[in-house]
Amino acid sequence: MTTQIQEYPSTCGLYRYHDVIGLLSAGQAGFSNPVAIAIGPDNLLYVANRANPNQREAVRITKCTKDGDYVDQFGTWGEGEGQFIWVTDSAFSQWGELFVADEHTHRISVFTREGKFLRSFGHHGQLDRPSGIAFDPHNDLYLVDSLNHRVQKFTQDGRFRAKWGTYGSRTGQFNTPWGIAIDQHGDVYITDWRNDRVQKFTPDGHVIMAFGRSGSAEGEFNRPNGITVDADGDIYVCDWLNNRVQIFDPKGNYKDTLIGHAGVSKWARSYLDANPEVERKLLQAAHNIEPKMRFYRPSSVEVDSDGKVYVVDTYRHRVQIYQKLLTASL
Amino acid sequence: MTTVATDKALMAHLLRRAGFGATFEELETYCAKGYQATVEALLHPERQPAIEEDLLERYYVDWKESRNIEGAMTETIYRMNANASRRPLQEKMALFWHGHFATALSKVLHEKTMLNQIDMFRTYGMGNFKELLVQLAKDPAMIFWLDNNVNHKDAPNENWGRELLELFSMGVGNYTEDDVKAAARAFTGWTIDDDNTASIPFGKIPWAFRYLPEDHDDSEKTFLGHTGRFNGEDVIDIIVRNPATARFVARKLYNFFVSDEPDQAAENILADAYLQYDYDIRSVLRVLFNSDFFKSEKVRFAKVKGPAEVVVGTLHLLGEFKFPKLGIFDVALESRYMGQDLLNPPSVEGWHTGREWIDSGSLVGRINFVADQVGNIHQPGIRAIVNALLARGPVLTAEAVLDGCLELMGHIRLTDTTRQQLIQQVRKGGEISTDTLDDRRAAQEVMLRTLKMIGSTREYQFA
Repeated sequence: MTTQIQEYPSTCGLYRYHDVIGLLSAGQAGFSNPVAIAIGPDNLLYVANRANPNQREAVRITKCTKDGDYVDQFGTWGEGEGQFIWVTDSAFSQWGELFVADEHTHRISVFTREGKFLRSFGHHGQLDRPSGIAFDPHNDLYLVDSLNHRVQKFTQDGRFRAKWGTYGSRTGQFNTPWGIAIDQHGDVYITDWRNDRVQKFTPDGHVIMAFGRSGSAEGEFNRPNGITVDADGDIYVCDWLNNRVQIFDPKGNYKDTLIGHAGVSKWARSYLDANPEVERKLLQAAHNIEPKMRFYRPSSVEVDSDGKVYVVDTYRHRVQIYQKLLTASL
Repeated sequence: MTTVATDKALMAHLLRRAGFGATFEELETYCAKGYQATVEALLHPERQPAIEEDLLERYYVDWKESRNIEGAMTETIYRMNANASRRPLQEKMALFWHGHFATALSKVLHEKTMLNQIDMFRTYGMGNFKELLVQLAKDPAMIFWLDNNVNHKDAPNENWGRELLELFSMGVGNYTEDDVKAAARAFTGWTIDDDNTASIPFGKIPWAFRYLPEDHDDSEKTFLGHTGRFNGEDVIDIIVRNPATARFVARKLYNFFVSDEPDQAAENILADAYLQYDYDIRSVLRVLFNSDFFKSEKVRFAKVKGPAEVVVGTLHLLGEFKFPKLGIFDVALESRYMGQDLLNPPSVEGWHTGREWIDSGSLVGRINFVADQVGNIHQPGIRAIVNALLARGPVLTAEAVLDGCLELMGHIRLTDTTRQQLIQQVRKGGEISTDTLDDRRAAQEVMLRTLKMIGSTREYQFA
């Protein structure tokens, strides 16, 4: 059970598995049902842990390096200012502040990179279970107002700017949307969760294109959620119930699929070295290892400037990392 | 009492027993459909919409793994409540089989594997008893619970074989020790592929059934007078055809759905149905719910509700947690506080039911829980009851308020003594008018107090 970097290409060979970070833990080095990842201006990973209501201490933001070294954590469970209950997404503003969406309190909380609470905005009525959040090139925040089936746009200090979307399945409408991404031109991509599709909009909400339909074949989705766009304009979609990440070119044509190839992370290695009985049991059931390498409800995806793709593997409490190969950009 | 009222009372009885109670709006719908048609609908849950699993997974992100018993219990209560409207009998049968084939997390230590067993009861609980027993014998939680994973060809373990006969299908006195030994040998090689309970490094992975032919004793066996090279399915086939099994299953179903007091004639009818319809549980239930002994006034409000029934029945009355939200965890634990640790029964014999559910501590817990919940006007089900009562104005007597609350809470029947005591209490509020806004506010308070008082009665604790 070691990480074998070179042996795991993506389905179409445009990416290869690189590494894994993670371990189930209620604090410090580890994650607990992570649901979102943001790459900070300090080049650190900020992973939001949703955990569960009977393990409240596990609700937090974990900071770690891209090599899987634990740095810090912040945030506590609660409804007070600077706390959160049901984290859904996080994003950095151009000023380097971390915005965190909470669909229980229906608000967005803002923190410094050190975890100091700055301010919050949003309330039930204005928002109904906010999920995905993302900044545009002008430092305005777009968010998915999920149970209102719409997108809302705010300034980074929380002033309302615009909204669009209604409940439905026609083009431009939404059914319980979840994720959001904004490309370098300011165009907005929404994973239209219960319509099993991605819709792309201009910054003011006009539909540019839509792709995907219900299913498990290439280009089809089963409840897509996390989404991002890389510097080449390629679109990465967490195909949540299909347990995969699909990658599309800027026109929405299918390119490749990541299915998960995780080995044992650095943190897990330390744990297993200290608990050989656990590793012995794992090896006894070696025939069950392969499914454990795969994604299990991937929820969030980000790509850094080096072409590394970070996929939050929620039910396995880890982040799997792939490397985009040069051929993928051609 | 009018025929319509009688029909509603009977329908309410059916839904209390075959489900977790019904709201007054649901009772209207069921009555419009008719009694027999409602029984058929209950017997065919597959015709009703299923729980929206995508929503559950989206909001309760930890449930797919369920790392501890409290989380697993919460999921179980949520599903029971969600299905109380859609598939109540399927859920009630899952609860019945969970008590009957009692398997506990105290030993299994793998929550998702236990939850998968409950799901298996949902799938097979109203089907053929033979198929149900086969699925049970292959169920990883049961295999681990009764040590069939250490039942080897060279070293048989009789635990599963013994309980299969004694507690699960026939009852003592209907088989010999040699039959137990033969049954155990027939199930050698029925094991699980991985009994890892560690969450690290990959999270918990549910266990799966595995048959190891090389560990199966394929030699000749004599079981209940039959001889052959029996495997587990052959043993189950012999068991389900035995008249003792018919009587055993009939007694258990009668006790759970009809009365704590045995009735030999009624149980014989159910046992005959079991054999006549080739061990089909759905057919036995059809006979049961359409029978005179089930509809009898004598058996109504004569069964003490189990803790899960109290919690789920009350949540259903409130219309609460029909969509995923925070807070279900704290409510779900109430079942434990009342004495029923779901997924963790005290032994392989399950819970001691009937009046044994009640002691002074658990009774206080039950009353406090119900009274707190049904007096909350912000609960959609309570708001609906109050609105329906207010519409019966402009002036309401104390009797009308009390009887209206009893009716709208599910045709609850009080003893004369309790009824008179409650009327006295309601009368203390003076005349109840719904004319002005202030009148309506005052009337609402009286109604909420009345609902709380009903929820605090001994009678509310009976189904």
